[in-house]
Amino acid sequence: MTSAPRAGDRIPPFRIASVDAQRMKTMAAILRDPYPIHWDRQATTALGLGGRTVNQGPLNLGYIANMLMAWAGDDAIRRLRVGFHGRVLDGDSVEAHGIVESVATTDSGWAATCSVWLERGPDRVASGTAEVASFCDRAAEGERP
Amino acid sequence: VVGRDLVTDAELAALVGTRFPGGEYTIAHWENALLTDCTERPPMPADLAHPIVLFHVPIQGAGTSIGALFALGGGDGRAGSVTLLGYDWEYLRPLHERILYRVEGGIVSAERTHDENGAPVYDDMAFSIELHEPQGALAARVTNRWRFLR
Repeated sequence: MTSAPRAGDRIPPFRIASVDAQRMKTMAAILRDPYPIHWDRQATTALGLGGRTVNQGPLNLGYIANMLMAWAGDDAIRRLRVGFHGRVLDGDSVEAHGIVESVATTDSGWAATCSVWLERGPDRVASGTAEVASFCDRAAEGERP
Repeated sequence: VVGRDLVTDAELAALVGTRFPGGEYTIAHWENALLTDCTERPPMPADLAHPIVLFHVPIQGAGTSIGALFALGGGDGRAGSVTLLGYDWEYLRPLHERILYRVEGGIVSAERTHDENGAPVYDDMAFSIELHEPQGALAARVTNRWRFLR
């Protein structure tokens, strides 16, 4: 982004055509996550989910983060506050969306508060607020410690 | 995961203030790369960490684990026994690979909800963890909320 956003701007969405069960397994290994709903189809069959595994919350938030980074810069995210309202299963198609609610001018750029959410069909399975700031703000604060 | 089906009201209340052992964590390039790939975006530039490292890095760095947190809340890790309520993740400094972060935190709230007959329905537990850079600057803070179904 080359200019400051304005309230009401829509953030270009980030789409996942089909959530991948294999990526959930990789994620479970990195997280050291013993919860079987993310990697065991027998467990999700018992839950009535037809053997489809359940995407991790951090991955659902990751799609929102990816949308924000593509829009505002890879180090622009200052805060993510989200609630989770539904499950995302392997094979689901999801889209991250956002809209700018307010913008403040800072000494070295801008800071925006955005409503963000993740859609699965007509349902919002996660929603909340993101605070992002222009790249030059972060540069002014210093780079690698 | 070793846990119990139900903690008492008193045990649940006593969880608030529980501190994790604390420790240090360095984000490796391989884990950042794999984690980023899991989100289906291109690799992060240079050694910048993907924002969702703020799930496992605080937990593991603080000397605890998902399984240990399940056990603290009296959950046994059975499928369907725990639900994610929400996150509040603050990025006060950019997070990088190969930086030794000091990690500390603990349980900040634990509340039980009963049905009309007084039986426990679910317990909501929240924990908060901070990451500090080697020079001491606060780099990130997370507060995660989980629900244990009873």
